[in-house]
This record gives sequence, C-alpha cells and structure tokens, in this order.
Amino acid sequence: MEFSDITAFLPILLKGALITVQITIGALLLSTLLGLLLALMKLSPVRALSLTAGTFINVVRGLPIIVQLFYIYFVLPELGIQLSAFQASIIGLGVAYSAYQAENFRAGIEAIEAGQIEAARSIGMKSKLIMRRVVLPQAIRIALPPYGNTAVMILKDSSLASTITVAEMTRAGQLIAASTFQNTTVYTLVALLYLCLSLPLIFGVNRLERYFGKSAKGGNS
Amino acid sequence: MININAIHKSFGDVEVLKGVSLTVAKGEVVCLIGPSGSGKSTVLRCINGLESYDQGSITINDRQVDVASKDINDLRTQVGMVFQRFNLFPHRTVVENVMEGPIFVKNEPRETAHANAIALLEKVGLGDKVEAYPQQLSGGQQQRVAIARALAMQPEAILFDEPTSALDPELVGDVLTVMRDLANEGMTMVVVTHEMGFAKEVADRVCFLYGGQIVESGDAHTLLTQPSHERTQDFLRRVLNH
Ligand SMILES: Nc1ncnc2c1ncn2[C@@H]1O[C@H](COP(=O)(O)OP(=O)(O)OP(=O)(O)O)[C@@H](O)[C@H]1O
Ligand SMILES: [Mg+2]
Repeated sequence: MEFSDITAFLPILLKGALITVQITIGALLLSTLLGLLLALMKLSPVRALSLTAGTFINVVRGLPIIVQLFYIYFVLPELGIQLSAFQASIIGLGVAYSAYQAENFRAGIEAIEAGQIEAARSIGMKSKLIMRRVVLPQAIRIALPPYGNTAVMILKDSSLASTITVAEMTRAGQLIAASTFQNTTVYTLVALLYLCLSLPLIFGVNRLERYFGKSAKGGNS
Repeated sequence: MININAIHKSFGDVEVLKGVSLTVAKGEVVCLIGPSGSGKSTVLRCINGLESYDQGSITINDRQVDVASKDINDLRTQVGMVFQRFNLFPHRTVVENVMEGPIFVKNEPRETAHANAIALLEKVGLGDKVEAYPQQLSGGQQQRVAIARALAMQPEAILFDEPTSALDPELVGDVLTVMRDLANEGMTMVVVTHEMGFAKEVADRVCFLYGGQIVESGDAHTLLTQPSHERTQDFLRRVLNH
C-alpha cells in the first residue's frame, strides 16, 4: 500500500462517497414520507386502506432489495417509464425501506395509550390536532432509535446501486480495483470511508436515544 | 343543563344502557354509584360524546349531543372530563398540559393561556410543580393537574369517572378537597364514585345504577342512609362494609 496510491484514489472515491450520501438522503426522505403514509393507512379504520397498505408492506418486505432495483431500472423502461440509474436507486431503496419505516412508525403510534387520546378528545381536540400534538411527538421519540438504524442500513445498502451502474462509492472502488489491481488499498479505503459515514450516525442515534430517554421520563431538562 | 332522556346503548349484542334518564341542573352535583359493569362510565362517556348512543337523546343547554355531528368538538369544550387514570400528556410539562386546550382548541394567546394555567394550578395546590413532567408527580397530584386541564377550558360542567379509584388512600383527600371546592363554587358536576362519604357530603343528588338502569335516585342523604330499593340496600351494605 503506497501513499501515492492513496492520494490518487481518494478523490475518485470521495466523488463516489458524495453520490452515496445523496442516495442515502434521498432514499431516507422518500422512505420516511412513504412510510408515514403507509403507517397511517394501515391504522386507518377504512378497511380498503389498511388492506392495501398491509399488502404493499408484505410484498416489499418479501422481495430482495436488489431485485426491486433491477425491476425499477430494467423493467419499468419497458413499460415506458424512463429513469436514470441514480433516480432508480433512490426510488428502489426508498420504496424498499418504506415498508420497514411504516412498521416502525406504526409501533410508535400504537404505543400511545388510548386514554391520552380520549383526554385530548374530551377537551375538544380534533383528530388531526391530536395526531400532531399528542400522538406524533411521542411516536417520534419511540420510533427514533429504529429510525436511526434504518438510516444506517440505507447507507450501507446504497452500495447495491453499484449493480445498476450508479458510480457511488462501492462502484468507484470496483472500477479502480479492476484497473489497478490494488485490491487491498482500494477496499480498505472504501471500508474506512463507509465507517466515516456510518459511525457518526450511529453515535448520533445513541446520543439522541439517551436524550429522549431522559426527557420522556421527565428528567430535569 | 344536561338532559339525558331514555338513552339506550349496546355493545354488539349486549345492551348496557337500558333507558337511562337523568337531568342535571346548572350548579348541581350528581353522584352516580353502582356495581362494576352497571354502565356508569358509559353514561358519562355518552354525555360528552366519547361514546355514541343508540336511542333516546342527550342535550347540553338544549344542544343535541351527536358524535357524528360537526360541532361535537365544540360541545366537548363545554363539558370537561376527568378520568380514573388521569391521562395526562407525558411529553408535556404540567403547565403545558393545562395550556394545550386553550391554545390549540380555543386559540387563546399563549400569555393569557399561561397566566390562566398558572392560576388554576395554584388553585389546585400545585403552584410549585408547573414545570414538572407528569411522571414526576404522585397520582393525586397528577389527578389535580387533570382537573386543572379540564377547568382551563372553562367548561360549564365536569364529568368525573372514579377520579380517586387509582389513588393510594392517603392521596385521595387532596383530590376530594379540590372537587369539594369546585362544587362549592357552583360547578355543575357528574361524579362516578365509590367515595360514599364524599357523595353524602357534597352531592345534591345520588343515582344508583344497576344493570344499565337507574333503579333509584334521590337526595344524597336519604338515598345513602335510607335506600328504598333492595338492590341499593344490598350495594350500600357491601361498599360500606369494605
Ligand atoms: N368498548 C366496549 N366494548 C364492549 N363492551 C363494553 C365497552 N365498554 C364497556 N363495555 C361493557 O359495558 C358494560 C358497562 O360498562 P361500564 O364501563 O359503563 O361500567 P361501569 O359501571 O363504569 O363499571 P366499573 O365500575 O367497572 O368502571 C360492561 O359490561 C362492559 O363490559
Ligand atoms: Mg367505569
């Protein structure tokens, strides 16, 4: 492993890292919005909605993410929907993880006691207001640690985008390794860069968890 | 002001209210007593529309209570409710619990709501706990916060569903004191309770509910000391010997 190699590879890998981060953030946002929608649908008293959401969640959870990516990138164009590899990877990961997010959110919402909701109704709060002021703030605290874990998983699984030609970090590493045969240097760098991204996220989640854990118990905040 | 006229209510095939009628005048304190499962909570929950009823009618100041109607939320602001298990919002401080309704339902300015909330908390003896979280309080203190939360909406009546049943015996007194003060100030109250001492002292009227019907009702002293119905006698004998 030579220092000159490192300085030569690093800029290329960092460019890939930027794309990795973009995919992760895009997929996280998409999975959050979609997951929240699915969770609310699944909890809805309207049977058609809860059934649709439940089916969607099960199908998505039952499929390997890589197959979903292939489907979106290779099959959708045949149906007339053209997506760039970058877009396809965000949509694929976002949809795949929305199912897990939905289950997280649902668990958070269901953990709020019915009594609190009744109390809110008894002071004249409407259901939307109850959602916003009573249910969601507490559900978010409960769902936050699993949410952080999901973010870490999306970051790692963004490497799957390499299989549909997105030049994110793993793919960038593959390309360098193929042309220079410096496997050790390249993949060590790739691994370290992934850790640089994931470890702060993991520590951040742990801190938030401790912070919320305290204030939920009513610590002196 | 509260007018319940022959309401019926079934859960599935089981009819739990079989024609309950009850009128509560402004400023009156009515206690509902009766064995477990007799329908006491269901009556209260029908009054503020937490539960629907199948037949009969309930009016509050001549406005029909209809769960499906648009103005049910407005009606609920006029009738407060205090629950057995307090049901405070655990993610908000004591004063925030009390301000929640005034700010977000009645759109009061924050400063006004805050000042009122502090005044109410002082009134229930919790002036020094305003910034605490509910979990840091005893059950009796939490219940007094719940009463302040109901009062903050300036309701015309408050419904209490066994407000002291979840409390350790030594904490019951403080809550009853607050309720007694409210009654003396002329608050209209419907109280489901097993505290016969409180009922005898504070209630204008006591109704004995059995099997979804009011089998006997009358002035508190008479009903509790000389019940005329056999079921009432039975029930009182049992609770008083406890
Ligand atoms: N949501 C519900 N679904 C089905 N049955 C119910 C429901 N709520 C109450 N019931 C039934 O209705 C009957 C009356 O219940 P209610 O809670 O009004 O009694 P209660 O007099 O308040 O009793 P307790 O003293 O135990 O609180 C009971 O048999 C109860 O099992
Ligand atoms: Mg009850």
